[in-house]
Amino acid sequence: MNVSLNWLKTYIDFDFTPEELANRLTMLGIEVESIKQLGAGLEGVVVGKIVSVTPHPNADKLILCQVDIGDEKRLQIVCGAPNVYQGMFAPVATIGTELSTGIKIKRAKLRGEESHGMLCSEKELAISDEASGLMELPSNLSVGMPLTEALGLNDVILELEITPNRSDCLSMLGVAREIRAETGNTIRYPEVTPIESETDIREVTSVTIEDPNLCPRYAARVIQGVQVAESPSWVKQRLESVGVAAINNIVDITNLVLMEYGQPLHAFDYHKLCENRIVVRHAKENETIITLDEVERKLKPYMLVIADAEKPVALAGVMGGYDSEITETTKDVLLESANFQPASIRSTSKKLALHTDASYRFERGADPESVIAALDRASQLIVEIAGGTICKGVVDVYPGRKEPLKIRLRKDRVNFVLGTSIEVEEIEQTLSRLGFGIEPNQTERDNFEVIVPSFRLDITREIDLIEEIARVHGYDNIPITLPKGDIPIPPPDKNEEVRRRIRNFLLGSGMMEAVNYSFTNPNSFEKIRLNDDHPLREATQLQNPLSPDMSILRTTLIPSLLENAQHNHNHQINNIALFEMSSVFINGEEPGRVAGILAGEIGGGVYGNPYRHPDFFDMKGIVEGMLDVCGIYQYEFKHTEDSTYHPGRNAEVVFGETRIGIMGEVHPVVLENYELPFKAYLFEFDLEKITDASDFSKCFEPIPIYPSIQRDLAIVVDQALKSDMPIDIINDTGGEWVESIRLFDVYEGNQVPDGKKSLAYTITYHSATETLTDKAVNDLHDKIVQRLNTELGAELRM
Amino acid sequence: MKAELEAIQTEVLEQLKQIASSDELETLRITYFGRNGKLTDVMKGMGSLSKEERPIVGKFANDVRATLTEAFEKTKTALESQQQEQQLKDEAIDITLPGRKPAYGKAHPVIQTLERIETIFTRMGFQTVTGPEVETEHYNFDALNTPIDHPARDLHDTFYLTDGQLLRTHTSPVQIRAMESQKPPLRIIVPGKAYRVDYDVSHTPMFHQVEGLLVDKHVTFSELKGVLVSFARQMFGDQTQMRFRPHFFPFTEPSAEADISCTVCQGKGCRSCGHTGWIEILGAGAVDPEVFKAVNYDPEKITGFAFGMGVERIANLQFRIPDIRTFYENDLRFLQQF
Ligand SMILES: [Zn+2]
Repeated sequence: MNVSLNWLKTYIDFDFTPEELANRLTMLGIEVESIKQLGAGLEGVVVGKIVSVTPHPNADKLILCQVDIGDEKRLQIVCGAPNVYQGMFAPVATIGTELSTGIKIKRAKLRGEESHGMLCSEKELAISDEASGLMELPSNLSVGMPLTEALGLNDVILELEITPNRSDCLSMLGVAREIRAETGNTIRYPEVTPIESETDIREVTSVTIEDPNLCPRYAARVIQGVQVAESPSWVKQRLESVGVAAINNIVDITNLVLMEYGQPLHAFDYHKLCENRIVVRHAKENETIITLDEVERKLKPYMLVIADAEKPVALAGVMGGYDSEITETTKDVLLESANFQPASIRSTSKKLALHTDASYRFERGADPESVIAALDRASQLIVEIAGGTICKGVVDVYPGRKEPLKIRLRKDRVNFVLGTSIEVEEIEQTLSRLGFGIEPNQTERDNFEVIVPSFRLDITREIDLIEEIARVHGYDNIPITLPKGDIPIPPPDKNEEVRRRIRNFLLGSGMMEAVNYSFTNPNSFEKIRLNDDHPLREATQLQNPLSPDMSILRTTLIPSLLENAQHNHNHQINNIALFEMSSVFINGEEPGRVAGILAGEIGGGVYGNPYRHPDFFDMKGIVEGMLDVCGIYQYEFKHTEDSTYHPGRNAEVVFGETRIGIMGEVHPVVLENYELPFKAYLFEFDLEKITDASDFSKCFEPIPIYPSIQRDLAIVVDQALKSDMPIDIINDTGGEWVESIRLFDVYEGNQVPDGKKSLAYTITYHSATETLTDKAVNDLHDKIVQRLNTELGAELRM
Repeated sequence: MKAELEAIQTEVLEQLKQIASSDELETLRITYFGRNGKLTDVMKGMGSLSKEERPIVGKFANDVRATLTEAFEKTKTALESQQQEQQLKDEAIDITLPGRKPAYGKAHPVIQTLERIETIFTRMGFQTVTGPEVETEHYNFDALNTPIDHPARDLHDTFYLTDGQLLRTHTSPVQIRAMESQKPPLRIIVPGKAYRVDYDVSHTPMFHQVEGLLVDKHVTFSELKGVLVSFARQMFGDQTQMRFRPHFFPFTEPSAEADISCTVCQGKGCRSCGHTGWIEILGAGAVDPEVFKAVNYDPEKITGFAFGMGVERIANLQFRIPDIRTFYENDLRFLQQF
């Protein structure tokens, strides 16, 4: 909401600079978003009267003007405007003025004639785009007056952000009350004494409220014989300064009073109302209304309308109807001042996407007690400005009248909640400046009964009063202390520990952390080749997605990572190593996932550390390391069926009976779907299952004290033999003496027969109880070779 | 003879100074100490000396020999270290060649910031708690004193699911869940994702929040200020100023927004802070009694405070990314910067 300081000052005195006032309001909870000085750049521009006009001796298109700028000063100004004439009032930029358009006014000689200033167009003053001639000013202005004053531009506009609870501040008087709380100065309310005619309003109209819940109060006055016309300039200036467009005197007055009191008003053309009466009722099925914006609105029965004897003439609290609006021919006016239930206005305004100054206030809650004051104020202004007479009396239907709310307030509670030591006097002063009534308690000096003013709909409890005291006391004046209570002992969190370890490991192994939106495109399931009946396709759908490609919640992290790879590849970044840790959304649960992608190139890509393409075993190593840091040692890699992956190059990782994750080379069709020209490797693990499998209870194993002995073993076996089968036999034969087995080479080619491959292992023998002799190791090693031969047909390779 | 020995000693010591290589040194050694060397020759003449002279000259000869041997050794050592020096010089490499960085990843900038925030509160005794991102109207709004027709709901443009549930618009529902499952005292923070229908340079439809909650028998607004000032100084530097402004949240009363002194201009006023010197970083307040009632705590006996901040916003105070949607493109050129 915009507030004009000049306007505000008509209600309350304050001597803050605009910046000080902005700061004080902000610290009271009325945040000031901007401070705008109207007429900035017009300093030095005054009202001038052109007293004589003579042709320029040396130029056809220029004119010499003698301009009176008051104080008996006459300036010669050279001017080229076509509309200049003797006796014209126009703005004069005097020497030294710097206009906001950047023009600097200097003494000048134009074709040999001196010019002591500039007569300006509206465009030159940045007031409008009008540039065809000089800006013509009204001739009743006094010569020499600063232009800002003449145009009402010597004003400052504060743009306020009013929080939804403070509907009482959506008006000049509301803001004035906040200043009263800060300064203690008194508020000058407008003097309202409408003079009424002999005609009794009850003879000319009536009001019926059919649903008092939705309309707690409806008041009306009738003003007869008005002259609809343009508003006087002070009214237009007021409205324009706060950003409200002027329409005609009647409508402008309703808007002026709305800004003044925060009470929306509506003026009907009395004669356009069927039977000249008002019925506040629900819309009927299939009823329509053309609103002021000339849009036909279909109404629903839950919507409240203002109707005449037969049809809706306004959407209650939202917008008036086109057919009953004030026009130039309007003679008699029925002026509405009412109160509506916030929720009802809110749902109507939301349903019709129709947001107005009136609906904004009603849906936040207006003060039912300001209905009459605003009505009388507007009626009086109408008579003053548009003429006419006010019928005797007010129709005031007020079924929702409520007793003022009383709240018990304890001083000790105030200080208990805030951690302050605020005294009774300060509490009393604050509340009364804010408009609260106080009934002192005779027996308990520190406790009060506080009467809540009708405009403070947000205050219903003691804690609300405490906030009022706190904000006027100043949050900055509340001490800064540290919590005194006990620190609760948190339960152990194994899940968190697993996530932390995995994340650290993956970062350490060269993968960048990605964070993707939880939304995805339903077509991503096609792209990763999930079967039509794949359970991951059962994704949660959004009712109101931002776009179709963000319309479901992820059930897997894989598509996001592939999209990330695609994005990077499209930007010529091909060393793709990314992981993400996030929840997915499956069957109403939100299990955690960790997934990673390796694609394109790995390595530093520098001299001595060239790029190379990652392969299955790079990814497998990462997976093994990740499980190792989680204390998971007993697991198996097993071939599995998964259409996202290369059928021969994938593995599920199984712990006990449970699949805890999957990894592998991405299927070529999936790569094509993401326009990736190189192989990619993925893994995705279930974090809760990793947590279940993880074991951090490991004990120390003694560092060997006896020396170990290494033997290399190269065997030639069938190509199809899995590399872990010899390992099982070595372990089984060697028992405790086999400390470790490392496969250091796999070879297929010229050196070995077709259909065969060579596997080379380094076996480390060691005993915890003795120093092994060469002979003992050799004997054991031979035994191993023999078993490999008989059981796997392995030949020693020389 | 003694004179002869003295002459040799002087001669050798003089010549040693000129030696430049171990080859020359060896030649010199042979010239004097070799089988036919000059010193050897002189020593051979010892036999012709008288019985009286022999021990005296003999001792002198041994001294000369010892002196020269030592001098030879010294020269040898010096030469060797010179040679090694030279060799090392010859082994010099081009140190401007690229280093072989071990592969290392970097945490996502938003998560880095989230972790910093989490660490600070953890040090102050706050326990991390998480909760579901798909929520019900009840936990996301109603239990937080934001009934359906409350205008504050306009501030949250909510993603609804087809089953009537919604994506949480803040991490606050977890506070309710925590209070339902635990008895006071509670001192928790809730980091996590939240969602709002918003997509422009300063809004992403998914964002991260950290909310905090402290509930006990007697928690005051002044303690809220204490915790948050402590946080701000740890997060933004110990010179950071903090101010609290009254604000409105349905689930806190009194409510506040907290600003820190601008991290760009240190409070003098600049474009980043709209020339106010202050930058808003979080919302906070004393837990509203209605919220306590919703979880069956007695608001007369229990008080508390809550606060919440947007992680992207705080991250961007440092990073100053013009379009925060960049956070979620996962462009490696971007991720590598942090
Ligand atoms: Zn700044």
